[in-house]
Parts: sequence; C-alpha cells; structure tokens
Amino acid sequence: MGRFLLTRLGLAAITLLLLSVLVFVGTNLLPGDVARRKLGNTASQASVDQLNHQLGTDKPILVQYWNWISGLFHGDLGTSLSYRLPVSELIGPALTHSLKLAAFAFVMVVPLAILGGIVAALKRDKLTDRVITIGGLSLTVVPEFVTGIMLILVFGLWLDLFPVSANAPDGSNILTQLKYLFLPALTLVIVLFGYISRITRAGTIESLDADYTRTAVLKGLPRRTVIRRHVLRNSLLPTIAVIATQTGYLIGGLVVIETLFNYPGMGRLIFTAANAKDFPLLASSVLIVGIVFLIATLLADVAYSLLNPRIRYATAE
Amino acid sequence: MDDTQRRVDAIRRDRSELENHIIDEYAAGKITRRDFVRRGTVIGMSIPLVSFLAAACGGGGESGTEATSGGTATGTAQPGGNIRVALIQPSTEPNPLIVKDEGGAGLLGSTGEFLSFSNDKLELEPRLAESWSANDDGTEWTFKIRQGVTFHSGATLTANDVVTTFESLVNPKNASNALSALGGVLSPGNTEAPDDATVVFHLDAPNGNFPTLVSSANYNAIIIPADLDPADWGKTFDGTGPFKLESFTPKVGAKFVRYDGYWGEKANPDSFELKFYDEEGPMIVAFQGDEVDFVEHFSVSGGQALLSDPNAQVIAIEASTHRQLHMRTDKEPFTDKRVRQAIALSLDRNAMVDGLWDGKADLGNDSPFAPAYPSTDTSVAQRQQDIEQAKQLLSDAGMPDGFTVELQTWNGFEIPDLAQLVKQYASEIGVTVNVKIVGDDTAYYGNAVFGDSIWLDSVMGITDYGHRPVPNVFLSSVYTSKGTWNAAHFKNSQADDLIAQYIAAVDLDSQRAAAKQIEELLLDETPVVIPYFYNFLSAAKPNLQGAVSAATGQFDLSKAGYTS
Repeated sequence: MGRFLLTRLGLAAITLLLLSVLVFVGTNLLPGDVARRKLGNTASQASVDQLNHQLGTDKPILVQYWNWISGLFHGDLGTSLSYRLPVSELIGPALTHSLKLAAFAFVMVVPLAILGGIVAALKRDKLTDRVITIGGLSLTVVPEFVTGIMLILVFGLWLDLFPVSANAPDGSNILTQLKYLFLPALTLVIVLFGYISRITRAGTIESLDADYTRTAVLKGLPRRTVIRRHVLRNSLLPTIAVIATQTGYLIGGLVVIETLFNYPGMGRLIFTAANAKDFPLLASSVLIVGIVFLIATLLADVAYSLLNPRIRYATAE
Repeated sequence: MDDTQRRVDAIRRDRSELENHIIDEYAAGKITRRDFVRRGTVIGMSIPLVSFLAAACGGGGESGTEATSGGTATGTAQPGGNIRVALIQPSTEPNPLIVKDEGGAGLLGSTGEFLSFSNDKLELEPRLAESWSANDDGTEWTFKIRQGVTFHSGATLTANDVVTTFESLVNPKNASNALSALGGVLSPGNTEAPDDATVVFHLDAPNGNFPTLVSSANYNAIIIPADLDPADWGKTFDGTGPFKLESFTPKVGAKFVRYDGYWGEKANPDSFELKFYDEEGPMIVAFQGDEVDFVEHFSVSGGQALLSDPNAQVIAIEASTHRQLHMRTDKEPFTDKRVRQAIALSLDRNAMVDGLWDGKADLGNDSPFAPAYPSTDTSVAQRQQDIEQAKQLLSDAGMPDGFTVELQTWNGFEIPDLAQLVKQYASEIGVTVNVKIVGDDTAYYGNAVFGDSIWLDSVMGITDYGHRPVPNVFLSSVYTSKGTWNAAHFKNSQADDLIAQYIAAVDLDSQRAAAKQIEELLLDETPVVIPYFYNFLSAAKPNLQGAVSAATGQFDLSKAGYTS
C-alpha cells in the first residue's frame, strides 16, 4: 500500500506541474493584457504600459513563470494582479466556501443517488426503475442555471422558504449557513443525481448478474446478505470513481451556480482571474482545485483498492 | 425696491462677472431654472444661493425635457438602521488611481469625499471645497478648502492633501485613470496651495467646466491624506465622509458605520453594507427576495421585473450614457456624408427608445450633447426617421441600389439588439448590414489604439459610452481630428475649432453658442449616430427614503433611512 501511495503522489506532483504550465500558457494566449483589463478600454496606452511595468507583467513570460513557481516552492502563492492582495488571502475564504457547498451537496446527493441506483437495479425494468432512471436523467440534462432559477423562483421568491443568496451573514450558526446553502446544494443534487444513480444502477446490475452473486444465492444466503456482502461491495466501485471525478467540478467548476446564488467560491474566483488575466491568482486557484481533485481521486483509489484487493496487488506488482 | 430685490442686489455686488452673467441669462429667460441651478453650481455658487436667486429673479421655465428624480421619495426617515446595498462587483482593488468602474466608484465614494458632489440633477454640491471661482479666462480655478475636516484616521484635512491627491492623479507615472478626464487639462506641478485653506489649479487651457472634472463626476478624485500611498488606500479606506470602514472582504462586500467626527450633518443610518454581485440577475433577485434594500444600478433589459414591481421605487436619472454607431468617414461606403446621413435617417429612434428602454431614455440627435446638459442647444431640429429622404440621399450619392456593409460590435447590454434594429431599418433603404458580434468587450476594444482595435478600426461599429456630467471628454476624444477614441476617423478643422471654443467657454451663453454650431455640424457630417441617451436606473425598497444616486455610480446614503 505504501508503494502504491508513493507512486500516486509522484504522478500527482507531475500532473500539477504540467497543469501550472498549461494554465500559464493558456493565460498568455488570451487576448489583451493585465493592465488594459484593469484600467479599462479607454485608458491611454501610456497608462497601460506604466501599469504593466508596475505589475511586472511587461517582463518575459518565462521570467514571470519562474518568479511565480519559485515563490510557490517557498509556500508563497504570489500576489493577485487584479486585487493587489496575497493570493492566499483570496483563495482561503473561497476554498472554504466551495468545500462547504460541495460537502453539503455530497451529503445530500451521494446516499440519495446510491439508494436510487440500487433500488432501480433491484426493480430492473419495472415502473420504479423507469421513474428513477428517466427522471434522474431528465433532471441531469436540464442546465444548472435553469434548475437554479426555478428553485429560486419557487422556494426563494414564491414560497419564501429559503434565502435566494447562498452566502450567510458573518457569524451565522451552522443551521443558518445550511439554510442559505440549501438551494444551491439542491441544484447540485438535481444535476448529479441522475448521473450517479445511473452508474450505481449499472454497477449493481452487473454485480447481480455476476457468477459470485449466483453462487451466493445458490448457496442459500439470505437476499439481504447477498446484496450487502457481495453485490454492493462490487457495484459501488464505479460509483466511487464517478463521485471522485465530480470533486473538481464541485470545487472549481460551479461558476454558474455561484454566480446565480452570489456565492464567493472558487468557481467565480477562477472565472474572475481568467477574465482579468490575473495569472498568479488563476494558476494558484487551478492548482489548489487540482490538488483537491487529486486528493479526492487518491482517496477513491484507496477506497477502490480496499474494496477490491486485486487492484492494489496489481499496482504493487 | 422690496427686500428681496435689495438682497439680490447685495448678493450680485459680491459675485464675479461670470456669476452675474449667468444670473442675467436666467433673469432674461434665456435658460431654464434647472439649467441655472446646474450651471450656477458648476461655476461655484452654492445651491442655497442659486435656489434663492432662482426664486427671486424669476426667469425661464423648465425645459422641454422632463427631469426625473434621482433620489428616493421624501418622507420621514427614522434615524439609525442598516441599509443593504447591491453593487456590481468592482473589477480592481480599491485604489483611487486605478478604479475604473461603477463598482469601484461606489466603493471609493463610500468613505471618500470629493471637492464637490455631482448630484442626480448634475448640480455640484460643495463638499471638501466650500466654494470655487475662476479667473476671467477660465485658466485658473481657485478652491476654498473646508476647515475643521478630519480624516477617519484622525488627521486634519489641509490644502496640501488636495494638492497631493491631484498631483498623484495627473502624474503620468501613476497609470491613473483620472487622466482620461484631466489629461490635457491639468499638468503635473500646476496645482498649488498658497495657504492651508486654498488650492489653485493652473490649467493647460481655458476650461469652463473644470469644477466638474474635479468633482465626484471624476470618481478617482477622492481626497486622501498626503502621506497615504493610493495603493494602500484599500487597507484603511481613509476618507473624510460620513461613513467609515468597518470591514471589507474582496469579492464579497463591505460594511461601513457612521463617522461621528464628520464635519457636516451626521449620517442618519447607523451603517450600510455593500454586497457585490457579478451579474445583474442575482442582484435583482436579491432585491425581490428582500436581501438588499437598494440596487445601485440596473438596466431596463436586465431589470424589467423591477419596473413593474410595486415593492420597488425606481429612481431614474437623466444621463448622458449612450450608444454610438460610428461610420468610418475615410472608408467606403461612408466617405460621402450623404450615405452616412441616409443611415441616420433610416432609424426610428422613438421605436428604439420604447422598445429597448421602455421609454426611459432621451432621443439622441447624433451629437454628444445630451438633453441633460445645460449647454445643449435644444432648438436644433431633432433628426427623425425619413425613409424617402434617405433613399434619395443614397441615390444622389450614386448608390440607388444600396450597398452591403459589416457592422461590428460586442455582446453586452442591449447592444446586439440595437445592431439588429440598425440592420432592419437599413434594409428599408436597400442597405444590407451584416452584423458581426465579436465576443465580449475585450475582443471589441482590443488594445484601444488605432490599428489594434475593432472599435477604432471597423468600418461601422457600435460603442458604449458611460455618463459624463459635461461633454468635454466626449468632444475632445471622439470628435476632434486627434481624438484617441475617434472611431469614425472624422477629421474636420471646423469641428476642432468649435470644440476648442466650447471647452474654453466659461459662461453658459458662449458654451451654448458653440454647442449649437457643433450640434449642427455633426448633424450635417454625421460621422456617428447617437440614437438615444438612456436613464441611469436605481431601485429602492418603498420604505427606504432619502437615498440619492448619481449616474457616475456614486450614491449618497447619509440622509437615507427607513420609514418603518
């Protein structure tokens, strides 16, 4: 297991380095420059040049990259070009917000979707299966901004049950925070339910049809035991992988939902940084999301290998 | 002679020639009461004084353009309370030199003060300057600085703070955004403080509207302590205003509380908080969901729901914000002015104002002289749709069958809809307009220099211009031969001369005389079409009284409060 983890960590480090290079190149390919974005379309070119000089964005791009990456190795994420604040001061609160929303959404959607997938598999081709599968899929294909707006209209404005913004006032207790987070989290539940439940259903059906399940049934084990010990243990493997891959989206990809609910998370931060060509903020944010994503997939791999020992043995070999 | 007349005479004896001139114009009925108040405040007369003279001297009635209220309805506002304000996200750090947008302007003005405040009626209310006056030719403006004012940090305001602030704003090494208004007007080293209570600006050229350029209309020009680096201002928000900073979280919001050491009337509310929004939609929803009480700015297209909402007081301010359709005067098919005139005549401006702005806009007459400006000569005939004349002009220009042209613009506000309307109207005179939406504003404006900007290089394009309380920047940047925003590549020596005359004119009569000639020249030449000037819209809860907006993105909540 130790070697397995070391290998994965090594690969993760290389992935993150490549990611930073990709973001750096991508940022520099965007049209316009930082000072122009800051000063506006009608600022004089002299002012733009002067600000670029002050910000250091007139230096060769390799120098800029080296300055940032060498700072990173000393634990310094750099200074945001658009906000003139240490990047860590911007990323810290945003990441906390994103993690809260993602955790709340996960807590709601994972058990619900797994249960839905298992029930659909056990009731294969029956009405219950059709309702869960088609219903979940239909909700998943609705764009998240449409779902979000509908929820705001119904639960926020018409019924007045939940706040229409997601960011609770400072000092709010956990229940108030959850109340504020409910509508965006519910939007995510609706978006993710169909996907996760469908994968769970497919995995469960595959396990139900497997030889070991047939053997367990033939050997006279009670149905509940067969499902718990033999079906679920195997059927959840793809589900775990799918859940892990959604982490990156939930932490850094919720631009629309965060904008709709005016929630200051990582998605909006990354979007703002990209718009402003704020390379230190953009690269550091993407890197942080990448790290969270890699941790999630690493945890998934560990869970995977615990549930299925063949994987860790194969990796160790 | 009655008491009132005696008082008027006494006042006039102490006023300058310039001030007496404008009083004469008003008394003779040459200008409206509204224009008298606006112009009087710009040249340094206080609002109470102008109001007294307006009542005492009679004079002109209101102009044809209906003024709309910029403040929330009056009523008895209870003291105290916290007002929640929705503000569009500032795009930069709160650095007075760098701020470029409404969000940033709102943030600066939350604790900072200006020499004067350009209010919703385009009047200048004295703030850190008690009064101001010009020399005879308008090349030197003297401001009397209010005494006994303290910054929130405890330091006392002196004339030196004002000098340092403006020297910083006009220093080309500082990449200041204020240079767009002060560049070519005030050079570094030309602001001096002969004593602690006086600041004198020595201008590069005569300028009758200078006080506006150093008012809140130039939102970068908050007065900060001389020893404070503007780049560090965002750490403390040190200003002299009625509110001081309690907390600021970038990208989230800020909270301000009453400053008990304020020089003037103390703020009515205990505090107000700003909530930043990236988009207009969530801002409107937050207002409807009772999470904010005041929306600093919304558009007709994005905020349609508020226009018919009984729980919203809509505040409409007449402004000079406009869209400009430029036609390259140096490129075919627009080298012939008759072709440009034909395009202008094809447009149904009334339908545009109703359809795109729900009537909350003034008609444009193809010059930057908005009806809101006192110097605009409203006697110049309004251009109306005339398809037959447009066709005739095309025929006279040798294009009876029309032509095909590409119209480039960007995807923002109602601009794509306007582009489609231009295409539709142009088709009625046989002109095929191919609309090309190039992406966001960054794609359209590019590097904002000739040769590297779709805005400045396209044969035909639509550009958005924000509100300016005086037309000086529009005129010098867009319509002069050397103008840096001259997208039409309009080079006309007569226009250059008239614009120089207008900017140098100190009295309203001279400004209006130059304005009339510019308006007529631009109507004839038609380098651009300006179909409308739209209102600046804010919204407040029905029980919120006394909130004041200004079209530059400033707002004043110091007298605001809830009635219940």
